[in-house]
Amino acid sequence: MSEKYIIQIKNLTKIFGDGVEIKALDDVGLNIEQGEFMAIMGPSGSGKSTLLNQIGILDTPTSGTILLDGVDVTKMSDKQRSVTRNKQLGFIFQYHHLLPDFNALENVMMPLLINGVKRSEARKTASKMLEEVGLGDRMKHRPNQLSGGQNQRVAIARALVNKPSIVIGDEPTGNLDSKASDNIYELLRRLNREHNQTFILVTHDKRMAAKTDRTIQLVDGKICEDSRNGNDD
Amino acid sequence: MFELDVATRHIKSRRRQTLFSVIAVSLAVGIIIIFMSMMGGYTSILIDSTTENQAHITVMPKEGEDYIHLYHGLENHIYDLEGVEGVSSYFQGEAALQYKHNAEGVLLYGINPEDENRVVNRDKYMLAGEFTSIENPGSRIVLGYKLAKNLDVGMGDSVTAQIPGAEPIDFTITGIFQTGTPLDETMAFVNIERLQDLYRSGDVITGMGIRLSDPYASEDLANGIDRETSYDAISWMEQNAEILTLLETSEGMVYFFYIIIFGISGFGVANVLIMIVMEKMGEIGMLMAMGTSRRSIMLIFLLEAAILGMMGVVVGCILGYVASAAIAAITIPIPPEMYFGMDHLPVVIEFKNFITASVFAMVINIIAGVFPARRASKMDPVEAIYSV
Repeated sequence: MSEKYIIQIKNLTKIFGDGVEIKALDDVGLNIEQGEFMAIMGPSGSGKSTLLNQIGILDTPTSGTILLDGVDVTKMSDKQRSVTRNKQLGFIFQYHHLLPDFNALENVMMPLLINGVKRSEARKTASKMLEEVGLGDRMKHRPNQLSGGQNQRVAIARALVNKPSIVIGDEPTGNLDSKASDNIYELLRRLNREHNQTFILVTHDKRMAAKTDRTIQLVDGKICEDSRNGNDD
Repeated sequence: MFELDVATRHIKSRRRQTLFSVIAVSLAVGIIIIFMSMMGGYTSILIDSTTENQAHITVMPKEGEDYIHLYHGLENHIYDLEGVEGVSSYFQGEAALQYKHNAEGVLLYGINPEDENRVVNRDKYMLAGEFTSIENPGSRIVLGYKLAKNLDVGMGDSVTAQIPGAEPIDFTITGIFQTGTPLDETMAFVNIERLQDLYRSGDVITGMGIRLSDPYASEDLANGIDRETSYDAISWMEQNAEILTLLETSEGMVYFFYIIIFGISGFGVANVLIMIVMEKMGEIGMLMAMGTSRRSIMLIFLLEAAILGMMGVVVGCILGYVASAAIAAITIPIPPEMYFGMDHLPVVIEFKNFITASVFAMVINIIAGVFPARRASKMDPVEAIYSV
């Protein structure tokens, strides 16, 4: 039973603030299968990003547990969290957050170098990844020499280069026009099918959410709807 | 070592700030090297001229006595001690020298010039005539050039010495010396036996000068002589204790200024790093998301501090060397009697000064880096990422 879920969330609560307390997540429970391509939707302040950051172990919950691949990440030390983020998780944010002083190839190499992979090997793996996202001819370009869509592709390549089992995206197409959004979406979908990685995307875009396998609606820190979209293979 | 990559890129991307902080550090290093070279120059000139111009140890009569009797045995004993290069017994007395209507009070030293030369190289300071001309007991005198000027006498002239309790006696000037010290105005040498005769003292001396191969051994040796012989042996360090204390105090003061100068340059580096940390918040958050540990984040910014420091140190050392060498090369018009006969600013360029200044600068720079580095490493990744 439990082996089939890559992510198991139980009674997850996150409260912000010392004086005035805001319950960003309220007793959330959620199981996600390996290879799922899912969207989290909801109005601003509903707790989407908070949930995502909890899954990405960028933040710690007030109470509850998160099991990634059967391991409770809420009990991990700072160091263990860093290692887990590096090896098991890939991040794509609305703003690409590429290192501006490094070119596309170097940016994609970075997670590998953090992981201690040899430079020559990292270069090889990263250039293959960049070719996969269609930027084989832009490797030496710096972020300021690339378009928004291209930068987001570099960010995707970076998120996937370490072959993480889970990729989380916080409005990955939020800064792009609809054509570029579609392209990015297609890319993510293709990568999801090819590598059987789990994708969890926060989005405002209903059109995009409809194309995922499963959509979760969050309101006031609670899951109010969990639906299958019939896009599964 | 991706940390080094990130650190160097950060520095490269902020050229202007990098330039200014490197200038600040290199100026601090350079100025301190110049300071140290000049301080070292003054110290060594002061100490050299002190140990050159005076006996390393002076043996005085026992307490309550005016003379050292039977001094030949003591002389031989001291000669046998390790590290002793020369021993010169002297008889010193006050006298007035008179030439026509001019009269000057002087300290007359009766010495054996050969022995004396082994303790203080008097030959070196001769302006005219020979120091050894007073080798034989005769009425010859060697005196300081200022004294000669005040008396208005020259080589070959005859001066009259008034010695308390003795008939006035004439001496012929056979040598004039210049040491660049106040002694030029008050000191005159005659043959020791001649002076002993004039004072009718018999074969006694009023003191004994000793030269050692290592001037810094004089304190210990003087104490040894003190204990063994009960004569009063005084080292040059004891005699010049005030100067040495002054040197030490001023060195302490100078170090205080070094810290201030380096502190100022450290603030410059800290400032640049704080700016980088603020500017790169999103990037730091993303690095954390990618799995960079807090330790690595800290290391990145400490490395940046170290790199800025290193660049400053290299430029500063070159600057310090060139400036010190330039200062050493300048000839300055100072009256030679004022500063030990120098016509250059005394500068000693020492390797250890470069090491001290560099290590000092690096340590302060890294300390300056700690605050921004800690701040970066303590960031909340979520806050950092969403700050953009």
